[in-house]
Amino acid sequence: MDAPLRVVHLTKRYWLQDRRFLEAVSDVSFDVGPGECLGLLGPNGAGKSTAIACISGFYPVTSGEILIEGIDVHADPKHARQGLGLCAQEDTLDSDFRVLDQLVRHATYFRIPVAEGARRARRLLERFGIADRANDLVESLSGGTKRRLQVARALISEPRVLVLDEPTTGLDPGMRRALWDILTAERERGAAILLSTHYMEEAERVCDRVALLDKGVVRDIGPPGRLVERHMGQAEISEELRPDVVWRRPPNLEDVYLKLTGARLHEPEAA
Amino acid sequence: MKLGDSLWGVRCVWLRYFDVFRKGIFYYLITTFAEPFLYLLAFGFGVGSLIGSLQTNGGAVSYRSFVFSGILGQTVLFQGFYEASYGGFVRMYYQRIFQAVAVTPITLSEVLWGELVWDASKATLATAIIALIGVATGDFPTYAPLAVIPVVFPASLLFAGLGLAVAARSRTIEEISYPQYLLVFPMFLFCGVFFPVEQLPAPLQWVAWALPLTAVNSLMRTLTLGFAFQAWSIPIVAAWLGLLVAYSRRAMFRRLVK
Repeated sequence: MDAPLRVVHLTKRYWLQDRRFLEAVSDVSFDVGPGECLGLLGPNGAGKSTAIACISGFYPVTSGEILIEGIDVHADPKHARQGLGLCAQEDTLDSDFRVLDQLVRHATYFRIPVAEGARRARRLLERFGIADRANDLVESLSGGTKRRLQVARALISEPRVLVLDEPTTGLDPGMRRALWDILTAERERGAAILLSTHYMEEAERVCDRVALLDKGVVRDIGPPGRLVERHMGQAEISEELRPDVVWRRPPNLEDVYLKLTGARLHEPEAA
Repeated sequence: MKLGDSLWGVRCVWLRYFDVFRKGIFYYLITTFAEPFLYLLAFGFGVGSLIGSLQTNGGAVSYRSFVFSGILGQTVLFQGFYEASYGGFVRMYYQRIFQAVAVTPITLSEVLWGELVWDASKATLATAIIALIGVATGDFPTYAPLAVIPVVFPASLLFAGLGLAVAARSRTIEEISYPQYLLVFPMFLFCGVFFPVEQLPAPLQWVAWALPLTAVNSLMRTLTLGFAFQAWSIPIVAAWLGLLVAYSRRAMFRRLVK
């Protein structure tokens, strides 16, 4: 069976104002199978959001092909996106609508009748723990609740391919875990999930495989444990927390990323 | 891509706008009609009572009726332009609605058509209702509200195209003020809303006729007051319509899509 999401040699360049071009994504290829979650792991500026904009068909590709359930998203976006649910990194909630109406309206874009959209919307609001906010204005929601609503909106069409661009940014640990549980349930439903993140813990916990993205290039791809084993072996990592205080721990994806790219997933915070 | 599928997408976007309009109908009615009403009261009834009638290419006509007809053109201009410029900028930049809808089975092209057609629909509705009031006051014949629609809708689309182009080219919402004060207000003042363009010095008449509102007002007065038909108005409106709609869509694509 074909993978619900196939990205084949995706390259995306765009021109900058000074007549130079930036290659934001370079020859990236991967498949996401049914019931699989693939993580795109990289820091800000690694090319995750550009790749996702191409995968959704919003940005044209410079070269390569994106197939959603075998349909080229750039050749036939209307049919390809019928099977796609997308949660963008930015807040794209429609603030002209209240919480429930927002989901129902979004459902109509997928040709879902209003009554069915309302039924699904109520169920999603229950599932995301925001049923009590159904009649509230979007602007009255906290950042975390808005984020949950935006992920809920991506699920309204019960997509076979779910693409989430940093969905847990701004969520507290409890909300983050609740969202991970929902993603696990979506995988069990058979959805192919592409999850962009810069949280190592999220990638390790939620993703079956992880693609390490650096300056638009996939440095390696594989199950998190196997990536660690491949690049770090069994060696313990020693980190000096303070003078004379050394922490010894097993290696993780952050160490792999650092070894492969020389960069950290998170910029060190300014003193 | 099939035409039927595309029309479905445009309709879906149009219905989204209509739903918002329906839910806030009181607010929209007040903000839509307050301005033309105030102009009508001040110039039509106030200044009109001082001037009486004026001689134009349609013969003698009361100043109130003349201004009333001009207010129809003004409504087309303001409704089309403001909804697409300020409203379009908010939807594109702050709410990111274009971006959210254009990753569903509805394409960005359909989103932009939906935006333009909605802006034109709203302006057409407002203008037709003002024409209806003109019928009630005895300034226009009874057929006027229906008769103006074939001119009002494309003219509204034209000014919506101008507004959307401005939204696409503005880096901040404040920048919309430049074309508002340097183009839209001069059109409002000098393109025949309040006085016949023939009153302007000859070179300025050419400038006024090069701008789309003069042609729109000319067509509107033919339909509502029986003024002589100035045939060149139609190609002027058609040319501006084609230019601005095509340019606005191109500018918005360039703004949103890398």
